[in-house]
Amino acid sequence: MGGDYTRWMSIRDRVARLMAEMSQAPQYPTQGATVFVDLERREVLRGYTPMRVVRSLLAGRGANMFYLHRLLDESLAPLHPDIPLIFGSGVLTGIVPSAARGNATSWSPESGVLMDCNAGDYFPSFIRMNGIDHVVLYGQAASWTMLHVKNGEIAFLDATPYAGLDNIDLRERIPNDFGGTWARDLAMVNITRAGENLVLTSAIMGGPKACYARGGPGAKMGSLKLKAIVVQGQTRDFETAQPYKGYNRTIAQKLLDTSVVKHALKTMGTPFLYRPSRMLGAMGTKNNQLTTWTDKLDAENITPYRSGMTGCFRCPVNCRPLNDLNAPADRYGAGDGPEYVTLGKFGPNIGVDRIESVIRLNNICNDLGFDTASTGSSIAWAMELYQRGIITKAQTQGLDLTWGNAEAVEQLLFQMSHREGFGNIVADSTRAVERGHYPGDALKYRMAVKGLMQSDPHDARILKAFALGLAVATRGMDHLRNRVTLEINSRINDDPAFKERLYGGAVSAAPNSYETKERAVRVCENTYGVGDSVGMCRFTTKLFNSPSLPGLEEFANQIGNVTGLQFSDSELSEVGHNIMGVERLINGRLGVTRAHDTLPDRWFEEPVTVGQYAGEKIDRAEFEKMLSRFYEISGLDDTGQPAGSWRAQLAETLGQ
Amino acid sequence: MITVRLPGTLRVGPSDTLMFEGPLATVAELIDALDARIPGFKDQLDDSVFNFAVNDEMLLQHARERRLADGDTVEIIPTISGG
Repeated sequence: MGGDYTRWMSIRDRVARLMAEMSQAPQYPTQGATVFVDLERREVLRGYTPMRVVRSLLAGRGANMFYLHRLLDESLAPLHPDIPLIFGSGVLTGIVPSAARGNATSWSPESGVLMDCNAGDYFPSFIRMNGIDHVVLYGQAASWTMLHVKNGEIAFLDATPYAGLDNIDLRERIPNDFGGTWARDLAMVNITRAGENLVLTSAIMGGPKACYARGGPGAKMGSLKLKAIVVQGQTRDFETAQPYKGYNRTIAQKLLDTSVVKHALKTMGTPFLYRPSRMLGAMGTKNNQLTTWTDKLDAENITPYRSGMTGCFRCPVNCRPLNDLNAPADRYGAGDGPEYVTLGKFGPNIGVDRIESVIRLNNICNDLGFDTASTGSSIAWAMELYQRGIITKAQTQGLDLTWGNAEAVEQLLFQMSHREGFGNIVADSTRAVERGHYPGDALKYRMAVKGLMQSDPHDARILKAFALGLAVATRGMDHLRNRVTLEINSRINDDPAFKERLYGGAVSAAPNSYETKERAVRVCENTYGVGDSVGMCRFTTKLFNSPSLPGLEEFANQIGNVTGLQFSDSELSEVGHNIMGVERLINGRLGVTRAHDTLPDRWFEEPVTVGQYAGEKIDRAEFEKMLSRFYEISGLDDTGQPAGSWRAQLAETLGQ
Repeated sequence: MITVRLPGTLRVGPSDTLMFEGPLATVAELIDALDARIPGFKDQLDDSVFNFAVNDEMLLQHARERRLADGDTVEIIPTISGG
């Protein structure tokens, strides 16, 4: 795959070749255009994703992979302006309740492999209101630039006055300068100073907290000198193939009737998970040296500071907690969040045990535009190196990186954002050794896979399905690609027949067994790939949090109503499989092999020491056998690449 | 005496804690006792989101068969994933 086609062509030649294959008219009702935006030349081209791609990969994350595969020149580097940054909204984004999501895709400057991030809030829906499904950005602007989208038209604006602004200030300025109201007729994706300074843990912000987070997307956008995309427009009804609002009501009711929504997401949001994880002895603590932490960070302790709940475009769940520390403070005394990931990464993982400190650090990260997973993990890594004497105050330039020193962490966050002092080192995230900041033995304590720090705080030495998922996830060590969350639910483990129906085959009831877990990971990966390509939130997609939420059946029904395209459940599952396949083809071009589908050494070598699963770790031989079974049922060859006739089918879809 | 701690969303009174006296050999028997005290409670618990923990030990398997002893604390915990 790839071959001569992928070489010796500039990005503009690649786009031109792609445009020649694309239609100039929508291929199905509600399809929006793909706009190719040359930031250097200030030119825009438009086309529509070909039907063969839609049938195989849908839109959103799926079609993003088509565009990246066609436009990627792996002889360059991730931050080269000829490497595109691609936004894509799902087929159902902005149309179906809780489908408010979109993806941002590129070659990750942080990990060195596929970058693919997902976010909600309002941008993915509002860009569709302008008749645009995908935005492909390339070329470096001559100076800081902002794209303004209104009535489907794209204008290039001077963003120099906004350079240097972080998230809070920028979001205060934009409504005044452009008119409009956030969440009503105004949405934006933007970078902060961290993105401008090419910090590898920087995010693209999609709201006060919502962000495209993993793999350094803020740095990628900064490398193009694009400060923001501002989208204006009234919400509107789409002209669909068939009536769809009746089935929307069915989906909304299904969401609201689901226990996990009623009992957790709607009331406290994701911090609920902290308590069961720490009780299980699976809470990543002090860079995963320990696996349990204080009950002072249980979700109930956030309650006094939870000032409300909010949500994304037309989502009835409203799972996002707001916070107010109720004390005289600076701008970081109130904000949006924290989610479970931030609670874990800025609580136990760096040894902080005060909920007020976690909330404050969360609010700072939202303003500075950080991926809290990569940022928290990079800081935890530095703290362990400091604990072990691998780095000292000489390297940290006086910062005391003792576990739990929230004040030092706060100072470090600002240093990272500015790339000043020791912050300039931590800003290089997983690449700190490669760039000569840390000695080689520091890698032993880096909790990363494929160059990406772990997304969630859950220590997966106990639950082997979780471990396999983190190892094979195409964007690196991330739970949102395939997490078999229901492995922690006894009600499902204790009902083998139900569990078998859920995953289309038997899956071991024992959470710490290696047997048959590959099947559950495969099914989740397929389902979530489709979810990202229709724009559904992961929290409200079947299998991630509940067996009762909308899944392939509901997606197929509503795709049919909205677009007129008919998919069976199994055909949609194959779409999810195809997406994973294209992602692996991209990673293959970037040098990823089976050896990269692995886990940090710590999990193979150091057992869990607390709880009823004390002694658990990952057995290398059993893990390799599980991985081989996963490859077999996934249609992958020994190197982790799509094999046989499926590979040929993918090549046909990709037009190569 | 068995102490039961309920999550906020299942709380039926001002307190999140219920006390049960008498021989309750297993979690399943405790669920029956909860249902007797709070009609309909059993149906609410027949849901994959709820896990049980006994004395801070999360039960990922065989939850209803778990043996109980006098003095145990049983906690009902909604369990989800997040981002």
